[in-house]
Amino acid sequence: MMASVVANGNQDGQSLVLNGVDPETCMIVFKNHWAQVVKILEKHDPLRSSSMHPTLSASAVQNYVEHMLFLLMEEESGQGGCMGPILEFVVMENVMERLFVWSLRREFTDEMKLEQLKMYEMLVGQARQPLLHHKPILRPLMMLLSSCSGTAAPAVEAELVLLLNQLCCILAKDPSILELFFHTSEDQGATNFLIFSLLIPYIHREGTVGQQARDALLLIMSLSAENERVARHVVENTYFCPVLATGLSGLYSSLPTKLEVPNEEWHCLHKVDWMRMPSLVQFLNSLEFCNAVIQVAHPSIKDQLVAYIYNGFLVPVLAPALHKLTLEEVMTTTAYLDLFLRSISETSLLQTFLSFILLHQHESVYILDTLVSRINTPFQLGTVSMALFRTLIGFYCEDVMLQLILRYLIPCNHMMLSQRRVVRERDFYSTSAAKMLALTPSCCSPDHSPPPLRQLDSILFSKGGADTPNSSNEQKSFSEEDDSSGNSCTIGSEIYLDVSYLHYLYDARLSISSCIRACQVWSALYDAEDPPPEKYQPGVLEEPKLEGRQTQTALKRVPKLLVSNARSGLPRGEPPSIHQLELEWDDSYDACPVQTTETPVEGKPAHLSPSEPPKHIQEMRRTAIMLVKGSYIEENEFQDDVMVYNLVAKKDSSEAEHAEETQSDPAHAPLRNGLTLPTSLVSDNDKNSLKAKAKGQTDCNGNLQNATPVESGEDFLAQYEELICILDSEGRGKRVKGDRELNKPVSPVEEEEEEEMDFMSFTAETPEPEKLQSPFGTVQRLRSGSSNRCYSVPFTGPFISVLFSRLENMLTNPLHVNLLLTGILAQLAAYPQPLLRSFLLNTNLVFQPTVRSLYQVLATVKSQIEELSASRLDFPERITAAQHWLLAREASFTATGDNNRLRVKLQCEIGFSDRIGKGWEPLP
Amino acid sequence: EGVTCSLSTARPDEEQGGHADQKTSPARTSHKKHLPPIPKNAVPITKPASVGTPSHLANGTHASYGPFYLEYSLMAEFTLVIKQKLPGIYVQPSYKSALMWFGVIFIRHGLYQDGVFKFTVYIPDNYPDGECPKLVFDTPVFHPLVDPVSGELDVKRAFTKWRRNHNHIWQVLMYARTVFYKINTAEPLNPEAAVLYEKDGQLFKSKVVDGVKLCNSHLFDQPKVDDPFAISFSPWNPAVHDEAKERMFTFKRRPEEHHKGAQVSGLSWVKPGSTQPFSKVDSPQS
Repeated sequence: MMASVVANGNQDGQSLVLNGVDPETCMIVFKNHWAQVVKILEKHDPLRSSSMHPTLSASAVQNYVEHMLFLLMEEESGQGGCMGPILEFVVMENVMERLFVWSLRREFTDEMKLEQLKMYEMLVGQARQPLLHHKPILRPLMMLLSSCSGTAAPAVEAELVLLLNQLCCILAKDPSILELFFHTSEDQGATNFLIFSLLIPYIHREGTVGQQARDALLLIMSLSAENERVARHVVENTYFCPVLATGLSGLYSSLPTKLEVPNEEWHCLHKVDWMRMPSLVQFLNSLEFCNAVIQVAHPSIKDQLVAYIYNGFLVPVLAPALHKLTLEEVMTTTAYLDLFLRSISETSLLQTFLSFILLHQHESVYILDTLVSRINTPFQLGTVSMALFRTLIGFYCEDVMLQLILRYLIPCNHMMLSQRRVVRERDFYSTSAAKMLALTPSCCSPDHSPPPLRQLDSILFSKGGADTPNSSNEQKSFSEEDDSSGNSCTIGSEIYLDVSYLHYLYDARLSISSCIRACQVWSALYDAEDPPPEKYQPGVLEEPKLEGRQTQTALKRVPKLLVSNARSGLPRGEPPSIHQLELEWDDSYDACPVQTTETPVEGKPAHLSPSEPPKHIQEMRRTAIMLVKGSYIEENEFQDDVMVYNLVAKKDSSEAEHAEETQSDPAHAPLRNGLTLPTSLVSDNDKNSLKAKAKGQTDCNGNLQNATPVESGEDFLAQYEELICILDSEGRGKRVKGDRELNKPVSPVEEEEEEEMDFMSFTAETPEPEKLQSPFGTVQRLRSGSSNRCYSVPFTGPFISVLFSRLENMLTNPLHVNLLLTGILAQLAAYPQPLLRSFLLNTNLVFQPTVRSLYQVLATVKSQIEELSASRLDFPERITAAQHWLLAREASFTATGDNNRLRVKLQCEIGFSDRIGKGWEPLP
Repeated sequence: EGVTCSLSTARPDEEQGGHADQKTSPARTSHKKHLPPIPKNAVPITKPASVGTPSHLANGTHASYGPFYLEYSLMAEFTLVIKQKLPGIYVQPSYKSALMWFGVIFIRHGLYQDGVFKFTVYIPDNYPDGECPKLVFDTPVFHPLVDPVSGELDVKRAFTKWRRNHNHIWQVLMYARTVFYKINTAEPLNPEAAVLYEKDGQLFKSKVVDGVKLCNSHLFDQPKVDDPFAISFSPWNPAVHDEAKERMFTFKRRPEEHHKGAQVSGLSWVKPGSTQPFSKVDSPQS
């Protein structure tokens, strides 16, 4: 009411009245008003029976207060920045506090709170002299704020956050007030730095309130970068970081566990996709906020937040989500992860995500290995996984490339010993390029490209030079003006210009040069000398330093935090968002069974005939068998392939209904269990164990809670504690046994017999071990992490192997898969590291017999294409149509692509596929 | 010495590292010139366009890529030249043809001290399978191995057979420098010079000094060949050259600052000497 009255007064033109009125008069008016107010306050204490009607007294007070505040607001500061007389009076008489206490003693309704908040908002925002420096003004403000903290009324919340935001703005402009903010709260016995604590519950809010709260918090975060005290307070005495990180978990759990995929080609979440999903928008907002906090906050806050995100979100939530039971769910999680990675801009947050992917083991398998193995899975999981790797490779991150490919190349086992120096050699005369280009299928030779394509390209290339070749198939020759010596210079006797090749070169140059620039921060050259091949020790990968260093310090603070917060007394009333948060948290474990107890695998493609599984499934079966036989070391890591294989097999069998093999083979029994039974069991187990764990931990700290009477704040604390305990224990990666058993892949041994044929056919190609080891003399057995990896047999790593195997199937792949594949290959080919470059592109390098080269793979593809083109009459027409379609596609991308990087990427994609994958794919 | 033109601008780009060659080639292609070049004053000999009859090489490679390979080779050669940092030698490929390089050599001591000799390198169009490149001085230098009429240096005696992968253009340039410090009179192209050098050192010396003077007096002449990338000298003009000089001298400091200050897009948490991801204890990047 007060505020509204003031506002009305403004409209009535009272400010005009003040204009020109001398300060002394104002002072006298103010004092008079105050004297009247004091009389009423003393006479009509609302607690005592009063002669005057409370409403009447209130309105009278408000009338006066309205004028008084107005006078205060309009007062200029005194000479030399000292207080104006009215302000001085307010401070001396403790006007604000007395008013607040009086209103507190009356019925302190939401409406009252709202009015007072508005009053302060106006006062703080419009006063002409600094008010917050004065305790008699600041203290009642703090009391008001803390009394509003437990409120549930949206209007009050909105006003509260607005005021807090305003205070933070003032704080950011004038950090000298900061000390006062701390002191005032101490006096009051409340939590230090109240305005900060009050904002925390609104971190994950949707809409304006959430945005204002986050903006305000960010202001304080950037303040913390320079103010050690703020930083320490945030880290040691507040739940800021845990709330942020676990909030991510909560929000994540409300994301759809299965995405509705628009079409078969879809493989990553673009903006148009996620903009349509409010829950995802909300998650991304919070992630972006984390990103921003890490960007601006003090290093100690940054460390703590990063540790909580690792241990509170990535490990306990994202890791299990990446290992859910159905392909759709796993695909969805993978798409989310890809989107998250693309959304992060802050290096240390990216580091956290990347180290999770590279170093975290879920059920003793590295996340990275799992993700790699999924590239070879059917349906969209494979393409979504590829898109994720496209993102990962696009980071130009040494650590990623090291784990993905380079570590397998460093020992130089993949080539003959004598070849090491070749790695660094420059191909002066493009012999490798010539060999590669000779693989262009005859139907796609540049000579066969129809004229319209050429014209389109030559337009693109006509800029930047005076001598534009206006007709590309014109033969050009050029004789230099004879000089005095009689020498002449001629170039190009039989030149047939391929302008689209220029286009391709231009794109390639762009990506190569940006890659070279990016890789300048790398630690080594990877040129078969640095790091030295002989000394390479795979070593044991450790979980990120994060956990060791940051988390421990960060998490150890938690008990202390509980004590201090409990004693100081948290804001009364339970912040509403906390409750919500808790529910969401639980959801993450509930979500699973609800979704999966239905048919685990839906949307069966009709074309899969039970009698003959699709090729990729056969591939995977073979993989599984080889794993057992131990002959195909390359596949050793594909633990999860086996799991997916189970899923696929299950899918097949469910389709086949009563197919013979599933019925007769007892080996399938656990397999069936693995899918139908498990879902509810797993999650129940999971949940129970979590609860149990949480309980256990809570008991340990129970005395803390019991000893502290914190009213309803206790709930709040208990919830947090439980949450943190869960995070903490979960972070150690100990999983429930039952869970594990159910997820455990069916041992493929049992399938051995039925697939004997496949296996045999493969072994025929596998050289004998002796032959392999001969160049080295000794058998090296090295271990990497928990997975046994034998380096004695040349092996270029699972990623390359999976990539090549998909590449080899180009002819049967859908177009979008091929575009992804060639895009990734083009990305890899741009890397300047001699080890990688020579492996992919140097056709002069002699590899070990078992190592497949890119050249070999492409040669296979070429011969397949030649076969196909010979067998189809309409092939040339289809090629032409495909080329037109691809160019139109590129044009549409360049037209709409506002994202430059994406554009370059796409051009690489097109460029490469234009060369190698040109249009043998049936048109859409 | 006031070498204007774009010699120095080529350097920072070229010294990027292993891939500079790959990088350079398309760049030039895209904005400096087109392959194949058509000189403004030359009439293209136009054969009837034959779309349907592609010329294949024996190994199945399309002949159409030949010029690209050739240009790539030449750019790789040029990158090598840059990397050699040959003392006192500057070269620049011509705008019109990658097969013609303009150069200048500064002789800093010995008989030919203070000599500033401009030259042109001609590379055969079947490089690297043809003969060795020719090196022709713009003004015939008085030297036993330099043809007194054409100005051509006898390069062949050093590279009797040009071997791909073993011989590189920088070696030709290096050879051109050596002949001025270590004079060889066997089988001379300029017998007079050879005889004088053997018989009358004083007269030889004075002829050389005269030649150097003559050469230097023509230093500011317009280049013989009309080419935007031809090397031309101009008298020192503070308004123009001071700034360039300043840039040349500050260049050494700049690259580091440049790399640190600029937004680096790559990432690494690998400790140097380690092959473990995230082995850096404290990543300075964060």
